[in-house]
Amino acid sequence: MTAETIIQSLASGLLMGLLYGLIAVGLALIFGLMDVVNFAHGEFLMIAMYATFFLFAYVSIDPLLAAPLVAAGLFVFGALVYLFVVRFAVRAKANAGMVQIFSTFGLAIVMRGLAQFFFTPDYRSIAHSWLGGKTISVAGIFLPEPQLVGALVAIAAFIGLYFFIHRTDFGRALEATREDAGAVALVGIDKNRVFALGWGLGAGLVGLAGAIMAVFFYIYPDVGASFALIAYVTVALGGFGSVFGAFAGGIIVGLVEATTAMILPPSLKSVGVYAVYLLVVFIRPRGLFGSM
Amino acid sequence: MDKDFTSRRRRELIIAAFFAALAATVPLFVKDVYIQNIMVLTLMYAALSQAWNILSGYCGQISLGHALYFGLGAYTTALLFTKFGVLPWFGMLAGGVISAVIAMALGYPCFRLGGHYFSIATIVIAEIALVLFQNWDWAGAALGIDIPIHRDSWLTFQFTRSKLPYFYFALVLACIAWLVTWWLEDSKWGYWWRAVKDNPSAAESLGVDVFNSKMGAAAVSAFLTAIGGSFYAQFVSYIDPESVMGFQFSLLMALPAVLGGIGTLWGPVLGAVILIPLTELTRSYIGGSGRGVDLIVYGLMIVLISLARPQGLVGLFSVSKKAVSR
Amino acid sequence: MKISRRNVLLGATAAAALGPIASRADTPEVAIGVIYPLSGSSAQIGVDAQKAFETAAEIINKDYDFKLPLAKGEGLPGLGGAKIKLVFADHQADPQKGRAETERLITQEKVCAVVGTYQSAVAVTVSQTCERYQIPFLSADNSSPSLHRRGLKYYFRASPHDEMFSKAMFDFFDALRKKGQKIETLSLFHEDTIFGTDSANAQSKLATERGYKIVSDIKYRANSPSLTAEVQQLKAADADVLMPSSYTTDAILLVKTMAELGYRPKNIMAQDAGFSEKALYDAVGDKLEGVISRGSFSLDLAEKRPMVGMINEMYKAKSGKDFNDYTSRQFMGLILMAEAINRAKSTDGDKIREALAATDIPGDVTIMPWMRVKYDEMGQNNDADPVLLQYLGGKFVTIAPQRVAVSEAVWPMPSK
Repeated sequence: MTAETIIQSLASGLLMGLLYGLIAVGLALIFGLMDVVNFAHGEFLMIAMYATFFLFAYVSIDPLLAAPLVAAGLFVFGALVYLFVVRFAVRAKANAGMVQIFSTFGLAIVMRGLAQFFFTPDYRSIAHSWLGGKTISVAGIFLPEPQLVGALVAIAAFIGLYFFIHRTDFGRALEATREDAGAVALVGIDKNRVFALGWGLGAGLVGLAGAIMAVFFYIYPDVGASFALIAYVTVALGGFGSVFGAFAGGIIVGLVEATTAMILPPSLKSVGVYAVYLLVVFIRPRGLFGSM
Repeated sequence: MDKDFTSRRRRELIIAAFFAALAATVPLFVKDVYIQNIMVLTLMYAALSQAWNILSGYCGQISLGHALYFGLGAYTTALLFTKFGVLPWFGMLAGGVISAVIAMALGYPCFRLGGHYFSIATIVIAEIALVLFQNWDWAGAALGIDIPIHRDSWLTFQFTRSKLPYFYFALVLACIAWLVTWWLEDSKWGYWWRAVKDNPSAAESLGVDVFNSKMGAAAVSAFLTAIGGSFYAQFVSYIDPESVMGFQFSLLMALPAVLGGIGTLWGPVLGAVILIPLTELTRSYIGGSGRGVDLIVYGLMIVLISLARPQGLVGLFSVSKKAVSR
Repeated sequence: MKISRRNVLLGATAAAALGPIASRADTPEVAIGVIYPLSGSSAQIGVDAQKAFETAAEIINKDYDFKLPLAKGEGLPGLGGAKIKLVFADHQADPQKGRAETERLITQEKVCAVVGTYQSAVAVTVSQTCERYQIPFLSADNSSPSLHRRGLKYYFRASPHDEMFSKAMFDFFDALRKKGQKIETLSLFHEDTIFGTDSANAQSKLATERGYKIVSDIKYRANSPSLTAEVQQLKAADADVLMPSSYTTDAILLVKTMAELGYRPKNIMAQDAGFSEKALYDAVGDKLEGVISRGSFSLDLAEKRPMVGMINEMYKAKSGKDFNDYTSRQFMGLILMAEAINRAKSTDGDKIREALAATDIPGDVTIMPWMRVKYDEMGQNNDADPVLLQYLGGKFVTIAPQRVAVSEAVWPMPSK
């Protein structure tokens, strides 16, 4: 194995990792806000990819331009999912945790069914887009443009999110609500509105990820399943609720995946990621950056 | 209160005996093998969900990786039989014991994890096992294990057409799982778990050995799940990693208990009786359209039940029961 | 005859009860079970299959002037013109569900034969169940060689299996070598389920026997979120031929990832599956000029046998797609099963089995490039010659074997 292969592996792993981070950050945000794990997260991604595909196929909007539109669309969708499903799930007095898991899990199945019903199970993909199939080559290291742009978008999203949470009124309301939902009600913040916006934001971020994924990935009703588990592991590795943790978790998952594939047969590469997760939580039971 | 409790428990036992006896007579009237097949699966999932409920419902450790124990049970039986000619009855016990030991070995580091970290650890461990089995050539890797069928025999627990032996085995398994749960409810462990679930730190300070009671729950739960897996291997007579260790199995085991009523004695049974026939029938009679309508119906039902009856469907019956006991 | 008589009776009763609504039931029907994944991650295959089977049923049930068994005239003449009725079932790629659905088809829907299943793992339990009920099972499109070696009496497969397919590939390599092409090293790239595993096993065995060096053998997890690491290893090995065994999803990702990492294989020899799906060529066809895939069907056969084109048009009208390697085998599977039932003059499982075992149909009355259809004692048709197809100028042309080839292979694959 040459130095070039190693650098190439790590570079690809890093790019993929940033994308994993972007996919997972919405999950982390929602969890941090209200302790809910969205089991339909992968299906949110699937919807975003379909939205990008249809915008491309029927209105010829390039995925890069479609990304903000898709993010906005997913924002609305996320808020609606909160208002019509999750709001009732968190209200449950008995075993709220399981109700949340299984109501979002049920939602995931419905979304897959609906996607198959309306979009047929055909595999779609975007053949020619501005970024698709283009590559930048630096000293023999290939950096595919879609992933490169994805990585940049991920970094920008994280920076934006950081400022948003710490510098804006709504961000502060989010933070306050997550710390003490009862107290914020006293100061006149509508908890439901904050939660709905939080879900919207979380879904919007997946929307962004989905639009970029659509450039280089295939699209079909079950596509979310390939990413859902990675997203959960990413979030848990970084520490549930920590936005920065999702970012770091994504990078780690990407790099570990690339490294494992160099050492072990590639079919075992997910084992490396899982083993690292276990190792981390056995040492730090709340993930790398989770609050202790 | 004690007297009430004792009499309630005795009543539960009588009701269970009544239902078990009723279930045992059903095949006398229902001859259709397709329906019998659904009944076998219903009983199997009732047993599996009951086993899951011991660890996740009573003890509060939400496992989403029980497919691991299910798969271990299935593989142990199938490998012992096809490679060494060991009868499935011994394979079943071996699978159960192996699973229980592994559950405790895994429980040792995992029980320190809280909530979602624990659940994701269970998913991830089961996934690791799945990938390893997929790559393990001696155990058939992706090709799986085809258990050859020769003739009907209780010794090898193989029956070509008849579903009845499987039905009665599944019924017995469901009864055992129910009885174990029933017995545990009133045991020292049962009290401990309730204490641990309500408030772990307080329980610990009162001298409850939290850790050991969790280990106990994991072992019992894994043992019963593995027996279910062994049964499945015999019932289907072909196993491959994806079909016995896949993540969907972990969810399928949890679902009946969750929908029926998590941490309750009757929840898993009730959940399985409603969920499994519905899943099978929707697939068989509307899945043929190829348009995903069965998924929509199935998913909607899960959403609606979990939102409308967060405490589980068992709550629908408890009201009348309370009225009686008063 | 017993069952068919009952069917007639049933039909008559139903017609009497329902009056004009059930006028269809006037002619007896022969129910055949068709079991495919109709939901879940391979639902697309099942949905396309449905259309292929419906096309076949239409040709049998109505009068068409094709040189194909049962096309002329309506229904099955051997059973008094009985019509074929298809009963579809969804196995969701789960062996247990496959078994349960087969049982339902046999016991409730009273099918007299079963055709399936796409996934080989499901074919194991479906064929086992058919065996238990003594109902013939025709494996239309499973290619795992282990399937017919299990000593089942009611198992039949008209199409080639992976060893035959792989042999065709290596025969082709040998021929090129003789012509002076340099083919020394091979890279295997295969998914980790039964299909990829079986295919890779067959290929490595042949490679050793015939003196090719496997420089990388990469097994990857199906539906991985990324194949970057895998492609890097392929690129580092840079073998003379890349031999992928991948389903559609992974094939799309593989080709895209190869382009992104600047890897252009010298040649690609694909084990069908994803590489015969329209979705792949819609997505990345421009990067696949010159790719060779094994197949059991080729559309350019239409030049020699016009009916192939016409039947393809019928299928296209239903599905919007051309026949591919899977749908053509599915279509042919039903025709062959119906042909046997017709000869058996009965819907009794044993009689149909006997008829199947006695099948001897020349290849030119099929839509396939096969020599003929004749099953050996294990139920395998060894005269189903696989073909090699090369993707040139936006469509597949047959390049081997010589008997059906319409053009010379472009080797090495054109590099842009």
